[in-house]
Amino acid sequence: MPDGNARCSNSFPVLVALFFFFSSVMETRVSLTNVTTPRNQTAPHRRNKSYGFSRRSLGVELTSNLGCTSGQFTAVRIPTNRRIPRPRNLTEQVDPEHIGLIVKKEWTLSYVTPLYQFRHTQLQSYSKQLAAFIVTEKQQGVAVEVGQELGFKVVFTAVLGLAETEDDAVTVLIQIQSKPAFAAQGEAAKVVWSGWLSCVSGDVEYLRSLPPDFTCLPLFGASGAESLTALVKSWFERTFDCYFGPLGINSTNLEWLAALWIGCHPDINIRYLKLAWRVPAQPPLDVSYTVHPQDTWELWNSIRQESNLRDTVDIEEGLLIWMERSRLQAVT
Amino acid sequence: MEEARECLREGVLNHLNVLETEALVLSRQQKLCLQQQSRVDDLRITVEKLRAHRDQLKARAKTTMSLQQLKAETDQRNEERYEDDNSEEGCSRTGQSLLSLLMVRRTRVKDLLQAHHLIGGYDVTETRRGKGVSISIATAFEGLYLETYCLELDLSRAVRICRHNIPPFIPLEKLAQVHLQTDLIGFLSTLSSHLNAFAGRRQQICLIQEVLQDSVEVMESNMLFNSVVLMCTDSGESRKAMLFTLVYSDLSRYLPTKVTIDSEDKVLPSTPQWKKSQSLLLWTPAHAAFQALKMEGQIA
Amino acid sequence: MDDSVKQVLRQIIRRIPSNKLRNTLSKWEHISKKQFQSLEFTQAKSLLCDNLLSLCEENELSMKHVTELEMIYRIEHPAQGSWNVCQLIDPEEEALTVDSLHFKESFKAHLKCLINHVSVKMKKHEDDALWIRIAWGDNFTQPNHLKPTYVVHNLQTPYVFVSGLTMKHRPLLHQALVQSGHYGAVKDVHLSGRCLTALRDLLMRQYKQVFPVKHPKLLEEKTPLPRTPCIEIEDTKHAENRMQMAAEAFGEGILPKLETAVYKLETRFKENEMGREEPFRGVVKFASSNLLESLKYCVSSGMASAPVTPLLSSITQKGRNYFVITDKGPGISNTPGPKI
Repeated sequence: MPDGNARCSNSFPVLVALFFFFSSVMETRVSLTNVTTPRNQTAPHRRNKSYGFSRRSLGVELTSNLGCTSGQFTAVRIPTNRRIPRPRNLTEQVDPEHIGLIVKKEWTLSYVTPLYQFRHTQLQSYSKQLAAFIVTEKQQGVAVEVGQELGFKVVFTAVLGLAETEDDAVTVLIQIQSKPAFAAQGEAAKVVWSGWLSCVSGDVEYLRSLPPDFTCLPLFGASGAESLTALVKSWFERTFDCYFGPLGINSTNLEWLAALWIGCHPDINIRYLKLAWRVPAQPPLDVSYTVHPQDTWELWNSIRQESNLRDTVDIEEGLLIWMERSRLQAVT
Repeated sequence: MEEARECLREGVLNHLNVLETEALVLSRQQKLCLQQQSRVDDLRITVEKLRAHRDQLKARAKTTMSLQQLKAETDQRNEERYEDDNSEEGCSRTGQSLLSLLMVRRTRVKDLLQAHHLIGGYDVTETRRGKGVSISIATAFEGLYLETYCLELDLSRAVRICRHNIPPFIPLEKLAQVHLQTDLIGFLSTLSSHLNAFAGRRQQICLIQEVLQDSVEVMESNMLFNSVVLMCTDSGESRKAMLFTLVYSDLSRYLPTKVTIDSEDKVLPSTPQWKKSQSLLLWTPAHAAFQALKMEGQIA
Repeated sequence: MDDSVKQVLRQIIRRIPSNKLRNTLSKWEHISKKQFQSLEFTQAKSLLCDNLLSLCEENELSMKHVTELEMIYRIEHPAQGSWNVCQLIDPEEEALTVDSLHFKESFKAHLKCLINHVSVKMKKHEDDALWIRIAWGDNFTQPNHLKPTYVVHNLQTPYVFVSGLTMKHRPLLHQALVQSGHYGAVKDVHLSGRCLTALRDLLMRQYKQVFPVKHPKLLEEKTPLPRTPCIEIEDTKHAENRMQMAAEAFGEGILPKLETAVYKLETRFKENEMGREEPFRGVVKFASSNLLESLKYCVSSGMASAPVTPLLSSITQKGRNYFVITDKGPGISNTPGPKI
């Protein structure tokens, strides 16, 4: 379930600790496992599940990212009310091949400030530029053999159909393929790194406030060698005058993730709700809180009885208030 | 009469009216009086209270002062004593106060506790702001300190053992059931004798393995060291192996309650020589007994 | 040697890692020194196994001998599979004096009374622990030597460590233990883990516990404070206090290696905001490669508040790592744990 995880490595206060309150760096992970009800049986069950999930998690992470980006263009403000994304069938809108490339990996996330003079029409030229950049960076200080073919090939692809609103910029998928020096002829190049820049359900007000030369693709996901990630980031930063930063997921973001994941699809059964923390003790301590599925549902319904009618979810009456309460009651 | 008549003239009702007014005035006066009285009483009570408080404070101040004075005097005396050993007479002068007596007693108890601890008694430490105590019990055998065991007691409600590091084969629970609530000192001394006996039994076996390793072999023992089987060889010509089974039924003692000797030669254990050594083992720690047997040349 | 013996031997050899095979076989007394030296430990395991099988056949070894090899390996490497602990309670007078010879005989006899086909093998380890290997059959089938139960018990102590026991055989084992050990009953202590020695150290209190004493050790003797760049130590006094509290709760030196602690929470909502009577169910799990070490670090470094909550200090104090927490109890439910 890679797409249900949000990882972050920087410091932030933790949302709630069950027995004791930790006050320092901690890695937190919220994971929810849901399955769709067999109401929609047209598509194969497994596919249906993973697609639905990936889209949702993308949307959520993006919106939450907008809320906490510390980039110079992004206003820091935390919404307390959000629209629940509508369920839609991604397979009809997005190339299944693209979906396959996005959902089956674990991504390391960063935020990106808006890109200056980024054109979706020039993806091919970007491919060449980035490949050249990588090669030169890789070969710094190493004698270059003249006439040798470039060891890397970069492919930029526009992934259509992910956008929720017309203000969302088209998602860009980047793949780096490596050609082994002594590859047999006809052997396919291996994808050694992939990443994407995306914007789903971006804050409309914010997107419209941007000057015309800027493209907002605020979420960057990378999967592959960290050295390559660093190279890609630095190329983007040089070319489009942007900045990549670690995606800080604070307690409010986590509340949002949990709230939207549970709440957005009333027709999805929650198999269990699991909140996981990693405490940087020596040796590291993993703490997990698993809630009984039926209780999770009843709780959720009791919290947002009236908001069921609306298509938004409020965080004020969010998930973690009861967790706090249950902690107090469990300890007293 | 005259008055009455006049009254009648004015009418009975009128008269009653006058009477009523008078009664009212009177009752009001009475009420006022009562109120004043109760207020006086209240004030008096307050005065009493304040007085009592004052006395208390006075007493406290006095105690503190006298305590300080006493301390100063004692310090001075100590200094004087260092300077001049003859000034002991000053002692009697301070014997006046009860407080000094108490102080002396307290110090003495503390010293005793310290001394007690130094000679292997319990070390008692207050824990959790007086709600509990931590007691450590040292064990020793033949003048040698062995393990120290600790237990922490919760005294807030009934006496309860919160945690301890006493091995599980010591019947702690049973001992606690008998003594813990009623007789803490009794409980501790029984526990201490169990622990000391256990340490002693174990130490005897250790010593046998260390000192007598060529002549005595430990065939079997258990965690509690309450049943030990030892083997040695008779120094007689036939060199028969002798098997000693030591059973310690009384767990608070480090000496066996029963010693049996077996040998291939059925007659050998009942010879007077071995009978003697059997009783020796009942009264002497095993390692010492076997050492003696070896010295006498009874075992190889 | 029939096929079942061969099959068991093959499986035993397969389970023993190659690098430990030599050492284990050297302790097995059923092949001669010469035979042992003839074995090539550098060759593939399957080949080695074939050679060993032929040696066993030569020596006419039976199941009894073959299972002994497995016992040797398990005793040397007890940290395999999950160990559960139960406690014998209500001891009779004899419980303190029963010796291993008696216990062995009585245990075998009692178990064989209860079930027709059962194979019991016992071995006393150097540390006085009695290791029992039980292969269970039932009334019609021969004992299954491929899935044996291991039981470790120190006589005179109430704790019994069990690995690989099915629910079906549990009552049989318990009954045999109670009768041969001269106890009244047996109960689960809710302690489990992979590391047998850790469980034993915890319950037998063989790890270093810290008690408040009048004459605390000098600072130099203590382990230095854990330093984390994010946490500035403002007040050494406080830090020292935390260290002391952490040590009092979890011990000192090498701590027993527990992997998990599980708390089952059943929380009742007081305001009844969920509109229901049943408790809210959740499970909190703490996991680490050395749980006590991690928890101690949390407390001593200031990440977790001190004094340590009884929920956590109960792991060492009560010697258990599974708790059910309901609203009624004072934090910890009265599900039976080991008695102290």
